[in-house]
Amino acid sequence: MPRLARRAGVPLTAALLLSAALAGCGGGASDDGSVTLRFVWWGNEDRAKVTNQAVEEFQRRNPGIKVETEYSGYDAYFQKLSTQVAGGAGPDLLQLDRATVGEYAGRGVLADLTEHVGGHIKTDDIPDTLLAGGEVGGKQHAIPAGQTTQMLVFDPAPFTAAGATVPSAPGEKWTWAQFAEAVNKVGAAGSVAGTTDFGWAVDWFEVWLHQNGEALYTGDGKLGFDAAKLTEYWTMVSALRPGKGATAPEVTTKMDGSVQNSGMVTKQSASEIGYDSSLTGYFTSYGPTVRTAPLPSDTAESGMAALPPVLFGVSQRSKHKDAAAKLLDFLVNDPDAGKVLGASRGVPPNSEVREQVCGAAVDATKLVCDHESAQEDKIGPSFGPWPTGSAAVKRDFQRTYDDVIFNRVGIAEAAERVVRDAEQALGS
Amino acid sequence: MVDTALTRPSRAQAPPPPPRARRARAGQGIAYLFLSPWIAGAALLTIGPMAASLYLSFTDYNLFDPPEWVGLDNYTTMVTGDQRFWHAAGVTTRYVLLSVPLKLGLALAVALLLNRSRRGVGLYRSAFYAPSLLGASVSVALVWRAMFSTGGTVDEALSALGLDLGGWVDQPQYALYTLVALAAWQFGAPMVIFLAGLKQVPRELHEAAAIDGAGPLRRFTAITVPMLTPVILFNLVLEVINAFQAFTGAFVVSSGRGGPSDSTLLYPLYLYQRGFTDFRMGYASAMAWVLLAVVAVITALVFRSARRWVFYAGEEGR
Repeated sequence: MPRLARRAGVPLTAALLLSAALAGCGGGASDDGSVTLRFVWWGNEDRAKVTNQAVEEFQRRNPGIKVETEYSGYDAYFQKLSTQVAGGAGPDLLQLDRATVGEYAGRGVLADLTEHVGGHIKTDDIPDTLLAGGEVGGKQHAIPAGQTTQMLVFDPAPFTAAGATVPSAPGEKWTWAQFAEAVNKVGAAGSVAGTTDFGWAVDWFEVWLHQNGEALYTGDGKLGFDAAKLTEYWTMVSALRPGKGATAPEVTTKMDGSVQNSGMVTKQSASEIGYDSSLTGYFTSYGPTVRTAPLPSDTAESGMAALPPVLFGVSQRSKHKDAAAKLLDFLVNDPDAGKVLGASRGVPPNSEVREQVCGAAVDATKLVCDHESAQEDKIGPSFGPWPTGSAAVKRDFQRTYDDVIFNRVGIAEAAERVVRDAEQALGS
Repeated sequence: MVDTALTRPSRAQAPPPPPRARRARAGQGIAYLFLSPWIAGAALLTIGPMAASLYLSFTDYNLFDPPEWVGLDNYTTMVTGDQRFWHAAGVTTRYVLLSVPLKLGLALAVALLLNRSRRGVGLYRSAFYAPSLLGASVSVALVWRAMFSTGGTVDEALSALGLDLGGWVDQPQYALYTLVALAAWQFGAPMVIFLAGLKQVPRELHEAAAIDGAGPLRRFTAITVPMLTPVILFNLVLEVINAFQAFTGAFVVSSGRGGPSDSTLLYPLYLYQRGFTDFRMGYASAMAWVLLAVVAVITALVFRSARRWVFYAGEEGR
């Protein structure tokens, strides 16, 4: 017997370990027919709190479905997600943004939701212009989790103190020259820069391109601008730095799109360009004094668009696509979910839910609703999803801008590099 | 035993193993049995992945679609068409050249200080060793970033001394030094090895030299250092290999971007970016193999040079 035990020991242990490992990969239906879903997103604490509340409500209504949730910061989220997906352990329902929805749909990670639309997922009350943000290759690969638009968020106090005015009433607008004058005044007067240098994010360049009748990407996923345009834009932004109109390079280099690291929340600038879906974050992190204004424009076009700040997609490999679609529908369309989620992912995409949420809105949610309604007639349709490779373009854009602000390369040369790198990234 | 000697077969016959050898072979079986978890682990977790990565290095693989064979494309692109590859290689070279001597110098200096019997010397040894245990962790890198960023402890302290540099981590010309400092701070492991080496230096040699009138400095250069060269070689090889693979600090301090302006883009960080943020696993695998080759060559060169400067006790002077 001891001999046998010794011989059998190793394979037995191995088998046990293996089965334990396989069980760990789990998920899936358990014996009582219930289903376990994994739902992941990125975001801050506020978003996590309300999302988990909404998920709890969903579980209460669907006792057969158990939902495991997970969230993290933006960068960590995608690094983990891509590894999990590659390893076959991806989540069932996942959050994406414009840069990644094209990437993931193009690579076959996302399930085509077209067949669920009208069934588990209702889209009747979601504006088509918004839905277009989740359409890749003519198929609905993701559903917008909200609606957002660009804004200038600012603290009125330093602007008033510097004698600068910001057109924040509905219908008012301003030019880039007026904007430059205002932020330079703030920079000259106070201890903070007028605005956070916004040259690093391709998102705001996209707005400027639309103001000038151009686009970041063409309809067929190619680059829509040339180096000359980018040179012109970066030259305009760079003119703000010497007078402290825009933040110093050391501040700008730290920007990553998150509210907690932004120049304004770290009290280094009095304003910055952002998406109104982040307003709840500014409200809690900066203070309730924040207000919004439209982006400056020199043309009749505001360049601002109704965009899905984030989208929900279902994994192609999910074993429970129906259940995942059900959860997606609940988050997007259910009035109770809308009430809980508020404007944590922008205003609700469902127009009825939006009306109801905005009608009862207070504090930060009210700010978001107010901005959306003040700019309503200026907000154009969605720009559409970014193509495969756009995530790399976004990163290269920021990295090259770092070289510009630290004077390591001239603007024209930097712009050419961005275009060259982007053409390569989009071609692959 | 006598029995075996008598019946020992001639060479021509197939030799039945003598009992001793048979027993040894049986022992081997048990040894292999006990080793099997390790062997399985090595095969599954080291050799398997290495083979896979070698294969992937000749493919275009984006994590989601099946890998596509591209031959040497990744390697040629790297060498001829990727500026950031060369930039990362340059940053890493600077990092290795700065951090390794600094770290070893600190380790030796502190080992010399702690090589005396004083009260509480054990406490000091632990205290100096502690950073090595913590050093690779994310939390320490986070603390480091906070200390060296604008308005951080180091910035404030330097400003108080009239050196208004701003935060180191936010400026391309200083950011790499933050990482060098982080590496040098973790000198505990080589320090402990140096301490062990110092204990081996025969006291008689020092005493004899002292009688001959050699001062402390002369005794250090003529006795301590030569006696310590094998340990120096060991630490040097280990630290060079470690430094080439440095990742965590750069990753955390620059939020994974290698910034500002690519100034902290260490080679492993760029490799990681190519693999996990650009979804180019094939390319990243190729980079990993290039790193392996370069580290192997450099290690070989260090060993070669060792013939000229490493002195092993018992050897006669050459």
